[in-house]
Amino acid sequence: MNTTKMDRRSFLKWGSATLAVAAVGVGVKGYSAEKPNSAETKSHSPEQSNHRWAMVIDQSKCTGCDRCVMACSAHNDVAPDMAWTRIEEAGTVGDRPVFMPIPCQQCQNAPCVDVCPVKANHIRPDGIVTIDYDRCIGCRYCQIACPYDARKFNWEVYTDDNPAVPEWGQPDIPRRPRGVVEKCSFCYERIDRGLAFGLTPGVDQMATPACVVACPTKARIFGDLNDPESPVSKALATHSSYRLREELGTETRVYYLPADEAAVPEA
Amino acid sequence: MQHRRLSFLRQPFFWWTLFLLTVIVIGLVAAFFVFTRGLVVTNLTDLVPWGLWITIDLSAVALSAGAFTLSAAVYLLGSKQYKGVARTAVYVGLIGYSMACMMLLLDIGRPDRFWHGFAYWNIHSPLWEVTMCVGLYFMVLSLEVIPVVGRADWLQSRWPRVSGSMLQVHKLAPVLAVIGLGLSMLHQSSLGATYGILKARPVWYQPGLAVLFMISAIVGGLALTTFLSIAAARFSSRAIVDRTVLDKVARFIGWALVVYLYMRFWDMLSVSYTYAPARSEAMQMLTGGPLAFNFWIGEIVLGIVVPIVLLLLPPFRSRRAFQTLALLLIIGGVVAYRWDTNLVGQLVVVSHLPHVLEPLYTHYFPSLIEFAAGAGVIAYGLLAFSIGVRYFRVVEHESVAETSKAEAQSVPTTPKIA
Repeated sequence: MNTTKMDRRSFLKWGSATLAVAAVGVGVKGYSAEKPNSAETKSHSPEQSNHRWAMVIDQSKCTGCDRCVMACSAHNDVAPDMAWTRIEEAGTVGDRPVFMPIPCQQCQNAPCVDVCPVKANHIRPDGIVTIDYDRCIGCRYCQIACPYDARKFNWEVYTDDNPAVPEWGQPDIPRRPRGVVEKCSFCYERIDRGLAFGLTPGVDQMATPACVVACPTKARIFGDLNDPESPVSKALATHSSYRLREELGTETRVYYLPADEAAVPEA
Repeated sequence: MQHRRLSFLRQPFFWWTLFLLTVIVIGLVAAFFVFTRGLVVTNLTDLVPWGLWITIDLSAVALSAGAFTLSAAVYLLGSKQYKGVARTAVYVGLIGYSMACMMLLLDIGRPDRFWHGFAYWNIHSPLWEVTMCVGLYFMVLSLEVIPVVGRADWLQSRWPRVSGSMLQVHKLAPVLAVIGLGLSMLHQSSLGATYGILKARPVWYQPGLAVLFMISAIVGGLALTTFLSIAAARFSSRAIVDRTVLDKVARFIGWALVVYLYMRFWDMLSVSYTYAPARSEAMQMLTGGPLAFNFWIGEIVLGIVVPIVLLLLPPFRSRRAFQTLALLLIIGGVVAYRWDTNLVGQLVVVSHLPHVLEPLYTHYFPSLIEFAAGAGVIAYGLLAFSIGVRYFRVVEHESVAETSKAEAQSVPTTPKIA
């Protein structure tokens, strides 16, 4: 996977460098001479970070109560019709309905990062895909490219009071302006702040994504895949799991534990 | 006196301009709503974020392809007979690209950041490549249009030195033709690749789109240039065309259509075998669903098959009316292809549940404001072309113009225009 990617990248790099020289005669040293340890390549190799954040969603436990959606909307100041995590009905097991919460899947081979014409999408060394809201031009190509419909566009300016605030929490980040795309960020502000205070994301609530904290049935689990003792590593070691549209090779960081009849709690 | 002052009312050009200006004003009102209220005034959604305006962008760029094709024919292949048509083509091209830029400015959420594409490079994005190429090619077209405008009689007589230095730019023509060819081939195909590289949308994910966008652009671009030349000559005495040259272009278009049909056939057939989630549903949508009329009638029958017959079969080819009709149908077919391709990948929503093969469908129909703004941009294009014909003689095939002038001097009777 990684080698083919590097091949394509270097092909594109050299190809466009040659073309740029031919077309405008500008120096492209900065692009053609890029070494594997430069900042750009690094940002595409999450393995170089000490952490690999991931979320596990246990469908046996999810009751579709929407509390994660409310907490997310409060902490990220999201408009009610633009929820960053949506909950789909996913059939039944036995006679109980099964739900599938879908946040941004945090692809490690993220189509949105590849296609953004202005590099407004980034993948952090710890694997979180972020949007630079000051750079996004609102072309919506990333929405077209996203295999999970995880992205929301600000079709109009959001000035109303947020109905989720203060009942479900206080905003951690400013509202996004009209005309840019936004999405779930794994609450990286909470993670970064928590790490600075010496907390452990996934264990300490202050350092954990708001949806995980808000879940009353602990259907959402968060943690570091590099830490074998983290809640996610333990859950994945003891359960079978799957990821969405795995055949695309997007290498997402959201894992689902399928609902099984024995594990679904009594209503 | 009174009668003479109002004589402009009897000129068709006045009413034509008035009509176009009205449409432009309506478009400006629509644009005002978009800029003040945001894209909420469109019928676009998070599931269908690209709609009518993207179709107009794609079509405007594709239909401008006559510029690079004819410039290459004249200055690289040395077919000097197409010099006059090439002049029309670069003027049409400049208008087409400016239309696309205007439409894009409305369509992106942050028009104030349009320059980010030039400042922050993501060389992996086809859309970045398109942005750069369109920006650079716009400059090439501007340089190519400068001598075209500099040729104007009134400019030559009133400001001969300005006109002279504008005509000097023509020396760059062969270089510009090479650069224009390179840039155009890059971004015309990249516009197809914009869709073609998206693995998330199975009906798009194939290399054919880049090639088909390229070929349909050449066909459509030549058709628009030829059609506009014929229309200008029909409605304006200031447009002089050499029909024998236009006939040659039209025949070339006919043969290019055959190549296009061949590629389109295999492209469609190859993705119609075996069931693939979302791809098969999208194909069904195109061949038997809501897009079927557009596809079969607009794209294939009227857009390709009928024009091939009209342009290549001798009994039809000799009739000029059929030729004009064929060119118009080709233009419609290219627009229909862009509209269908853009929508077909978005209307089928792939299920995220593993092993659930049931895709969802969504729908899209443009809002009134989208139509109004789109019509405004198209009206601007037609107005710019009309002004070019009337004041800059952008449709004037030299060989014919000279002979007709000579005939007019020697023979007092009405000169015959070939």
